[in-house]
Formats: sequence, C-alpha cells, structure tokens
Amino acid sequence: MKNPDLIQQMRERAEAVQAIVSIIGTMKDACQYAVAITKKQGGRTVVAAGLKTKEQDYLKNECESSGLRLLEFPLRPHANEIHTSLTIVDGGVAETGTLVLDSTSEDVRIATMLAETHVAVLPALKIKPDTTALENELNAVLKADVPSYTAFITGASRTADIERVLAIGVHGPQELHILIMEENKA
Amino acid sequence: MIKTAQDMKSYKKQLKEALADKFLRSALDNFNTAYRENRPIVYEGVDFEGLKNEIAAGKDAALPHLIEMFEEFKAKAEAVGAKVHTAKDAREANQIIAAIAKDNRVKKIIKAKSMTAEETFLNDHLEKEGFTVTETDLGEWIIQLRGEGPSHMVMPAIHLSRYQVGDLFAEVTREKQESENIDKLVKVARKQLRPAYLEADMGISGANFAIAESGALGLVTNEGNMRLVTTFPKVHVALVGYDKLIPDLKSMFRILKVLPRNATGQAITSYVTWIKGAVECASSPGSRKEMHIVFLDNGRLALAKDPVFSESLRCIRCGACANVCPIYSKVGGHKYGHVYIGAIGLILTLFYHGRENGRAIVRNCINCQACKEVCPVDIDLPHLIKKTHGVILHQEGKKPVKNFLLSTVMKNRKLFHFILRKAYLAQKPLAGKEPMIRHLPHFFGKEHRFRSVPVISKIPFRDQWQQIRPQVVEPKYNIALFVGCAIDFIYPEQARALLKLLKGRGVQVEFPMDQSCCGLPLLAAAEEETAKDVALQNLRAMHAGSYDYILTLCASCGSHLKHNYLKMFKSDPDAPENLKQFTDKIIDFSSFMANVLNISAKEFKAAPQKVAYHSPCHLCRGLQVTEEPRRLIEIAGYEYVPSKDEDVCCGFGGSYSVDFPEISSEILKKKLDNVQDSDARLLVTDCPGCVIQLRGGMDKRETKIQVRHIAEVIAEALK
Ligand code: SF4
Ligand code: SF4
Repeated sequence: MKNPDLIQQMRERAEAVQAIVSIIGTMKDACQYAVAITKKQGGRTVVAAGLKTKEQDYLKNECESSGLRLLEFPLRPHANEIHTSLTIVDGGVAETGTLVLDSTSEDVRIATMLAETHVAVLPALKIKPDTTALENELNAVLKADVPSYTAFITGASRTADIERVLAIGVHGPQELHILIMEENKA
Repeated sequence: MIKTAQDMKSYKKQLKEALADKFLRSALDNFNTAYRENRPIVYEGVDFEGLKNEIAAGKDAALPHLIEMFEEFKAKAEAVGAKVHTAKDAREANQIIAAIAKDNRVKKIIKAKSMTAEETFLNDHLEKEGFTVTETDLGEWIIQLRGEGPSHMVMPAIHLSRYQVGDLFAEVTREKQESENIDKLVKVARKQLRPAYLEADMGISGANFAIAESGALGLVTNEGNMRLVTTFPKVHVALVGYDKLIPDLKSMFRILKVLPRNATGQAITSYVTWIKGAVECASSPGSRKEMHIVFLDNGRLALAKDPVFSESLRCIRCGACANVCPIYSKVGGHKYGHVYIGAIGLILTLFYHGRENGRAIVRNCINCQACKEVCPVDIDLPHLIKKTHGVILHQEGKKPVKNFLLSTVMKNRKLFHFILRKAYLAQKPLAGKEPMIRHLPHFFGKEHRFRSVPVISKIPFRDQWQQIRPQVVEPKYNIALFVGCAIDFIYPEQARALLKLLKGRGVQVEFPMDQSCCGLPLLAAAEEETAKDVALQNLRAMHAGSYDYILTLCASCGSHLKHNYLKMFKSDPDAPENLKQFTDKIIDFSSFMANVLNISAKEFKAAPQKVAYHSPCHLCRGLQVTEEPRRLIEIAGYEYVPSKDEDVCCGFGGSYSVDFPEISSEILKKKLDNVQDSDARLLVTDCPGCVIQLRGGMDKRETKIQVRHIAEVIAEALK
C-alpha cells in the first residue's frame, strides 16, 4: 500500500474508534494545536514528551502567551493537574488506527495515562499497514536486554461495563487527537 | 461471596430466582441476539476459521513445552530485574503475593482486572492479611463494592442495571446520582478511583500473554486502569496462569486478531501493553519497579498432559462461549459457572475449584453447540462438558438411578423397544382421541406443562416396514434409512413422507431392522461406555458397505452418528474397521434431496404458504447444513419467511427439557414468539426432536401455526 493510502486508512480506522484526526506539516502546528485544544476545553496545563529543545521552547512560549502552564518533568507531583499531553509516537498501524508508543519513561506513561486529552503526533512515514509489518521492530525492543514498557493505543479509553453501553474516557484520556505529520507538506 | 450450588435441589432453587430477575433476562437476551448479529460485521474480511485453526494448532504445539517456555520466560524476565515465582495452587499464590506485600511494607493495593486473581480469591486473602485492596476496572469495582463475584469473564457486572449501579455509587459518594446517564456514572468511577492509584504501594494485574522468547508480558485492556495500576505503585505483581505462556510475538499477534473481536466486538482494544522487566518507577526506593511475576499452576500442568482435557487450556478468556449460550442468557453468569463462566466454566470449575462446585452446573448444558461455533481456539466445549460430567459421576462413585436404568435398558435394544411399545398402552388413556397429551398427570409437576406431549405411535415405523418397503429395479442409489427413536416410535409419518418423496427416483431404501437408538441420549447423560456399546450395535446393523448413503431425518442422530462416533472411538484400539466408511455415508434429508437427487421445482404444485424455518442445532452447527433446507422449502413452492434467531436452540435437548423444564420452556417461548412475529402459517424443521418441542409448545398457544417436519411439507407439495 502507498503512503497516501496508509494515511487514509489510518485516519478512517482511528476515526472509527472516536479519535480526532488531522493532518499537519510541522511540530509548530502540533504545538499550536495542543495549546488551542487546551484553551478550548478550559484546561490550564500542557505537558510534552519527546520534543526537541527548540520545539519545547516554542511550545513554552505559545503556552505562556495563552495563559497556560507547560508542566515540567518529573510529572508525579503534577499527577492531578495534567490537562493536555503532547507526544510524538513511534509508529502507527493503519489496519486498526493504532498508535505505537515506547512508554518506558515513567513521565511518558504518566503524561499519556492521566491527561484529559492526549494529542499524539504521528510522522506519516512511520505508519505501517498491519502488525505483521511491525513485528521485527517490536521484537527488537522486546528482546533487548533492557526493561521496557510499550503501548499500542487505539482511540480513547473506554468501557461498556454498565449495561454494555459504550462510554468514552474511563480511567485514561477522554479524548485522543492524532496529528499525522507530513513533513514535506510544510 | 460466590455461592455455587453443590446439589441439584439448591441449584434448581437458584435457577428459579435467576429466571425471575426481569432485568437480567432482558439484558442478557438482548445481548445474546446483538452479539450474534454483530459478529459478521466484526469479522468482515477476517478469516476466522483459518485463524482459529492456526491458533489452536499453535497452542497445542506449545502445551507439551510449558515448562521449557516458562524457563525461557523466567531467564529473560529476570535478566531485566523481574522476580519470577511459581505457585502450585491458589493458596500458595496468595501467600506469595501477601509476602511480597509485607516485604515491601505495603498497605494499600490496587488491582486491575484478573480472572486468575478471581480464581485464587486473592482479594479475600489479602484483606484477611490486613491490606486494603481496591479494584479499579469499572465492572470489577462495582462487584467488589457489592461483595459479588463476576457474572461474565469480560463484563463482570453485566447482571446489573444502571439504576443498581447508580444506587451503589450514591452510597459510596454520599451524593445523589443521575443513574439514567451512564456517562456520568462512569465519570464517578474515574473521579473516585484517581486518588487510589497515587496512594497505593502495590499494583496487581493479570496478563493475557507471557511471551517466552522475550520475557515480556502482554496485556489487552480498554479502560486504561491497568496502565495506571502498573505505573504508579512501587510494586507490581502480575499473577499469570501457566496457560498464558506463548512462544513468541507472532503467536500473540495472531491471537490479538480474534481476542478483542470475540470479546468486545473490537478490531483491537484501546490499549495493548507489553511490560518487560523492572521499568523506571520514581516511587520505588531504587527508582526501579519491584516487579514480580507469579505463575499459577493450580492443576494446569496436569491438565496440559491430559489427552482429553488439555484442549481446555487453549482458552483465551474471551467470554464468547457465554455470550451465545441460550442458557447463560436465561440464568446469567452467577448461575452458570463458579469463577469461570459459560461453557468453559462448566469444565474448568471441576479442575480449579473442585467437583462440589462443578457437579450441579455441569448438567446444565443443552448441547446446542453454539459455544463451540464461536470459540476462537476451537475447543469442543459441549463435548468436554459431557466428559467433565462423566468424570464427576465417576469420582462420586454413585450414579443417579436414571443413569443406571438408561444404561441397562439401552444396552438391550429389544428390551428398549419393548418398553416403548408398552408406553403406548400406558399413554393411551391420557391422550384419549387427541394426538397429544395436553394434561400431564400430576406427579409431573407444573413446570413440565409448558408443552403438550406427543403420543407414542400405535404401530412403530419398524412394524410398518414390511408392508411399505419399496422395490426398485436397477436402482441409481442404494440407501439405508437410519430412522432414530423419535420417528420410529412417535412420528413414523415423517419417514413415510420420505418414502413418498423417493418414489420414482431410482432410490432403493433399506431399513436395517437391528438398528437401535443412535446413543446420543446416553452421551448426554455422560454414559459414554453404553453409548459406545450402542454405537457398535448400529455399526453392525447398518452394513455401511452395502449402501451409497445412510440417510437420517433426525439432525441429532445425524450429527451424533457422523461426529461423535468418531470421537468416542478416537483413541480406542478396538475401534471398528468400517467406522470411517459408516460416518462418511451419513447424510441428512435436505442435503440428500437438494444436492444428491437435485429435485426440481417442476415437480411441485405452487403452495403459496408462508413458511418459517427452525434450524436445528445439530443440523446447522452439527452437520453444518444451513442452505439446503431453505432452498428445499422454496423449490417445493412455499414462501420462506425468515424469522429472528432461526439458528438458536428450541430448548429441547432430549432429556434436558425434562431435567430443566423451567429453562427449556423459556428458550422455547422466545423461539415461538419470534416465529409468531414472522406471520408464517407453518413452521418447518428437520429434526423430530425439535418437532416434539415446537409442536408441543405451539399446541399450548392460541395460534394456527402448524409445526411439521420438512419431509412432510415437501412431500405434500408434490404435484
Ligand atoms: S452447548 Fe449450548 S447450552 Fe451447552 S454450554 Fe454450549 S452454548 Fe451453552
Ligand atoms: S472457551 Fe473459547 S469461547 Fe469460551 S472463553 Fe475460552 S476462548 Fe473464549
């Protein structure tokens, strides 16, 4: 499958599980998106993981000029106040609209588990058609002799435990936004 | 606390209570229908059968190597800081976990959902040891607050309405709750449980997979609580059954294609997580998680070596065998399992929780095969349920009188048939001139009055045979008729309809006189030895070598002869030589007419009657025949009108309907309601057992819908 088709499939499958998908060009777009969604939802804080120093600085500026706080690591002391978390994920699986995120860092885990809204940047070139295409890569991580915590994330947290009625946002994020980044677009 | 009935009397009482729970009934009935309707959509573009066979083969290949896989897992996991323990039984597992808690000065424990922890009653143990334990999965939290066990392996609180949950939450929060709004109830749990993650010193989870080649655990979840449980506290303990060991990531991905689909109708769950070793953890003294993995045996290692029951270790706990079970949908999980629920629960209870807890529930299977059809790891659940029943009877050493009589009588065909003939005389006064007994004598109890009972025929088919035996010169086909008890002694007219239909088609029919009952009722009563005895009599009587086909008008006989005969003699060195030849020749009525004789519409007069169809369990799932009978109805000029849940059991199941009349009648009620909603005037099916049930039930209703065997209506439509 060609990359545009993968992007399209990724988008459809993710939207089918209530993720909100956009296409962006640069990390700047992503930072602006994270700030805008936080403001819109009445949140006060943003946390970011995996950004380069320059990007992190840009985000900090954006946050400040919008009256938001960019939380710093370690996140444990902030556990109760994370509104938006912005992360760059390590891969995508188009077949199911899944994000792959190395969550070995505790702060990445806290950011993506406790946030109300998770904004995930997915570089378009990292989208794989299915799990088979991902097997070697994931196996390399799993077989390495270091501890690891790897997550597949598909849509927002959900339950159907009461009368089998689907409810979104139980213990994990209530919203998942996926920003597919096509760098050449910029 | 879980109170599983340990004898039939208290079980019956519990069942009655469950049947009276209106919410439960409608919730589970709707679930059953919705689940089955949604399934084809969920599996679109996925080769379920192919995956199922691959997974089953993979599991079977791995089972003999459990210990090697465990050693490999342990080495890899310990190399990255995890500590791996083994527990021979539930008690030992609980003790190990309590000791880990003590060593780490733990006070508060949070838990993610784990059926294995339910199996060992871990919470009870930890609480007794003075720890505070909080479940964090929404459903688990609800039942923990109510002091109940799960009623479903995937949705533990499926037996409760939003109002019950709302009342419960109102108590917990001391605030009034808007029970109507499920979203708000869910948010209550989110808010209430958040602090628990931060305060806890230890998190306990299960695992869906323990991957040998990497030493990583794989966990499949939706709510996100497991991720928090395994992240915040300084200690993480994963309790894992040996059966969760798989060789590699490939095996996990394969199972991941069916597990969420089967369990919750999702292509994949919200979260799939791999945890390997002691990851970073700021709340732990060494900044590394105290990571412990406890492998639970509790009978698994012995089960893995069992030639019959090892299959049950393939189970991936998807819960689907309960979802489609007509009995589960009537009585709910608290009455259909002990800790493990549904078909697999009827089996595993014996091995994990003792025969006291298994002995009553194991009898409550109607053998409709619905569970077997959806099981993604191809466990022959109904077969193993009967085997489990047999083991329990054997262990207890005292057989019910019914079994003794059944076994004695059935071994001797002449005695059996003599009794059936006598039954005609005994019944006659009850029926009068009617074709059915509408008022059963009082010693039957009123729970048996949901259907009228057919009368034994005055002249059984076998006694009519000499007069009606057709003579065909130069036949195209030689077939033997296996008539089965119900047609032989109750409905000979169904076999006569067949003869009428075969006239002029070059088919020489023989009726081997020494044929007896197929033996299914014996297997249903877990009397396998006698069932084999009867099978041998039939194999001798039928002379399979002399015929092109062995035709049966009874779906239950057909699937028993074709599949169970092979299964019963599977590893028997004395298996008769012509067994395979015999089973290969078995054919059902509809397939013979539609596929072998290719009968055509020209031969039938237009009979513009609306016909509903009931698809017998042992035809559609047993013999996998689904299209032929419907086609036949239309060839014969009838208008086939589909009705809801055509392939759901009618509730007969032979002696099941006598042993569990309360459940049988409820299953029947839904069936007949669906047929009545279809505006058909005639209900057709291809099994005399189903005819007994459906006609008997319809007779008690004020309706004009007739119930007939398909052979009769097709024969009547001939020009
Ligand atoms: S065979 Fe039918 S009744 Fe028995 S457990 Fe399976 S689904 Fe339930
Ligand atoms: S026995 Fe099969 S259908 Fe039942 S829970 Fe296990 S895997 Fe699922």
